[in-house]
Amino acid sequence: MEFHAKPGEYDPINYVPRTESHGTKELWKTFWLLLGITILDFIIYFVMGPSGLRNVIFILFGLVKAYYIVGAFMHLKHEKINLALAILVPTIFIFGLIMGLLYEGHALSMMK
Amino acid sequence: MANHTEATFEKQPMWAGGRSPFNVSYGKLMMWIFLLSDAFTFSSLLVQYGAQRFSNIQSPVTTKWPDPASIFNHFPFMHGLHLPLLFVSVMTFILILSSVTMVLAVEAGHRNSKKEVQRYMLYTIVGGAAFLGCQAWEWSTFIHEGARLYGNTFGITEQGYKHLSSVGFGDHFEWAIGDRTNGPVPFAALFFIVTGFHGFHVFSGVVINVVVYIMTVRGVFERRGHYEMIEKAGLYWHFVDLVWVFVFTFFYLI
Repeated sequence: MEFHAKPGEYDPINYVPRTESHGTKELWKTFWLLLGITILDFIIYFVMGPSGLRNVIFILFGLVKAYYIVGAFMHLKHEKINLALAILVPTIFIFGLIMGLLYEGHALSMMK
Repeated sequence: MANHTEATFEKQPMWAGGRSPFNVSYGKLMMWIFLLSDAFTFSSLLVQYGAQRFSNIQSPVTTKWPDPASIFNHFPFMHGLHLPLLFVSVMTFILILSSVTMVLAVEAGHRNSKKEVQRYMLYTIVGGAAFLGCQAWEWSTFIHEGARLYGNTFGITEQGYKHLSSVGFGDHFEWAIGDRTNGPVPFAALFFIVTGFHGFHVFSGVVINVVVYIMTVRGVFERRGHYEMIEKAGLYWHFVDLVWVFVFTFFYLI
């Protein structure tokens, strides 16, 4: 299916913004960062015994990795703030669900 | 061609209608919306996993959630050695590497360099296929150990925990009689469903990448004047990597 706008008219279907290369420096930096954090995960897993603190560290590391993947690799850091917010704000509901269901799961474990 | 009207409408007010306030193409915005909905899908699966795990937190040791280090401790060609976390770290490395080649393909597309796009897309496809192969090995090892959708033989007894903690990284390790018992039933089922759903995403990502690769080779994007399709495929591919970060954290690390 092809849509063609008249010259001078904005065609929302075919519109593609002009993109420019920002070079590969940031991308490689992100790669080394992700690799470093994964190696750190590996080290911490063996150095620290299982504990709540270790779990918190792993989750924080996961969130840092997520920030770099979404921000640099998926380019969301460089998109318009409108788009970034439209994608990121709805994920608040996920955190609500996590809190709610972990609480319920814990309550179930008391009854078992 | 695609950019010939850009200057005219970029002057229009952003929220007055007639233009995208997000300043992305229709297809890319739809990919983002799809990925948001997919994020909810994966979250619901992972939250279910968390709730099941928390519901065993106060239980006696025999019905506790199995320790992933005691199950995913195998490595190809190193039979019988206790190597927890090693294989899955290699898988993570493969996925991060294929993510970086994907983003290099996108960057090459911005410079309209067909040759480089082709090369990096091929690397990405190889990385995705390698990851799928690793996952197949992981699954078959797990199933050979007795994992089923409807049961869990990976519960560990008090004696088993003592045995496990006495074994160092790389030591020879085999379960003794009385080490293991039945554990919480949804353990293996959740592993299969969540990693399976993720693996299915990797598989469809590889298919998308192959299609985009063929389109690149045939010069479709060259004629179109831009390589935006690589960006859209890239968004999907990075999302798969993003999901793996959390699967890795919650199934293997914690």
